[in-house]
Amino acid sequence: MRWLACELHAHTLHSDGKMTLMELASAAAKLGFECVALTDHNTMSGLADKEAAERRTGIAILPGMEWTTFHGHMVTVGLAEYVDWREANTRNIHEGVSAVHARGGAAGLAHPFRIGSPACTGCYWEYEVDDWNDFDYIEAWSGTFAPIKTDNARAFSLWTDKLNEGYRLAATSGRDWHDAAETDEPISVTYLRLEDESRPIGEEAIEALRRGRVSVTIGPLVTLEAETAGARYGIGDVVPVGERAATVRIGIDFSVRQGLWTLDDPACRIRLSGNKGVWEESAIRETEGTQEFRMSVETEGLLWMRAELWGIVRGVTTMIAFTNAIYFD
Amino acid sequence: MLIDIQANATPEDSRTHVRFPFKLNEPACAIGIHFEYSPKRLDDDSRARELLEQSFEQYVLPERLALAKERTDRYLPLQNLITLSVDDPDGYRGACHRHDPVQSLWISEHDASPGLMKGKIAAGEWTITLSLHAIVTERCAYRLQVWAADEEERGERP
Ligand SMILES: [Zn+2]
Ligand SMILES: [Zn+2]
Repeated sequence: MRWLACELHAHTLHSDGKMTLMELASAAAKLGFECVALTDHNTMSGLADKEAAERRTGIAILPGMEWTTFHGHMVTVGLAEYVDWREANTRNIHEGVSAVHARGGAAGLAHPFRIGSPACTGCYWEYEVDDWNDFDYIEAWSGTFAPIKTDNARAFSLWTDKLNEGYRLAATSGRDWHDAAETDEPISVTYLRLEDESRPIGEEAIEALRRGRVSVTIGPLVTLEAETAGARYGIGDVVPVGERAATVRIGIDFSVRQGLWTLDDPACRIRLSGNKGVWEESAIRETEGTQEFRMSVETEGLLWMRAELWGIVRGVTTMIAFTNAIYFD
Repeated sequence: MLIDIQANATPEDSRTHVRFPFKLNEPACAIGIHFEYSPKRLDDDSRARELLEQSFEQYVLPERLALAKERTDRYLPLQNLITLSVDDPDGYRGACHRHDPVQSLWISEHDASPGLMKGKIAAGEWTITLSLHAIVTERCAYRLQVWAADEEERGERP
């Protein structure tokens, strides 16, 4: 098992990006990523350079495409085959999602609350969704310094609302990376938990995304585990009915991507939250190595729980990281 | 020329696709495409602000509306956006989703403009699709020219 540092939303000059795939992969490697999804607008022609870029940079490249439609942008990853984005209308997006799934891909809402047409054409999600379980993920954090942005707060709330309604879907980050220019702003990383390292990274990464084995951060990697009398469960897993109590273990790994992020105040707080609200909040004193927190949780009435790391970044009190959910039947 | 059309789009055409099929009677070495539209920008400042205000009502939370209006300038100038995609007799050959209002594109067996997929230029029914994402000016004139070439090298428009 290991956590793979991914950038899940990036463009090249095959659409309106400024980089070649090689430049994108090199820039990603410098930022401590191990994997990038190529999600050009409405084309997959950039994949012609995939193997060469992977060999040169050591970055795993996930094939993908951003459906850049009139009524919303939808990121699709893990499929090498094209699905026609031009048939989409506000009523039939599930057909598109099914076609993506049939080709082995995962589908997520891209920046669902970014202002739409005519400022940014189709950027605001206007598709009718009948079943949220049909989607694999919501891109909750879009762009750089994502957690402080209003549009992202709305996307994050949408995700939380859907979890509260009993749906099970992942939340990710995506820079929507177009430009080669460096930025001073904090960069989000979506970590995907690979269970079977003997399988190709790309396949395992998509499996992780579909199953919600996901942790998102602009700094340290936060992990979450629940242990019951019967077994241990990780992020994305479902704890079966009948397990009355669980010991929850939260890990905060400060050693990831060393030197590529900073917290201007080491005083962080870790929070365990779920459909019944926030349980517990603890202050973190040490910001080195991996810090661990344990707590006991009654699972009665529980649908899901996640861990959140809060602190001060660039003078702003903000969420720094969140895990995806552990679910309860 | 396989296609040579000039037409106008209006704001009502926003969020629609216009398809231009053409027939290739025999396989070719390459296909050249020239596509342009004008104007690109909406220069009428008050109209642009009016359009943005309407979109804020739709996309911005009521409590953020005042702030969004204050920051209207960040979205200016408003622009028309038309993108082009190509289908060959067997399926999709890519799209050129970018803001350039003048695009000279090329697709052949061994080479293609960014966004398009190189490969055989087979005989049969091809289609150029123009996707009118947003038309913000009263009128937007566009021109599409498509021709077959018997050489792989990118040539001038005939
Ligand atoms: Zn987008
Ligand atoms: Zn994008």
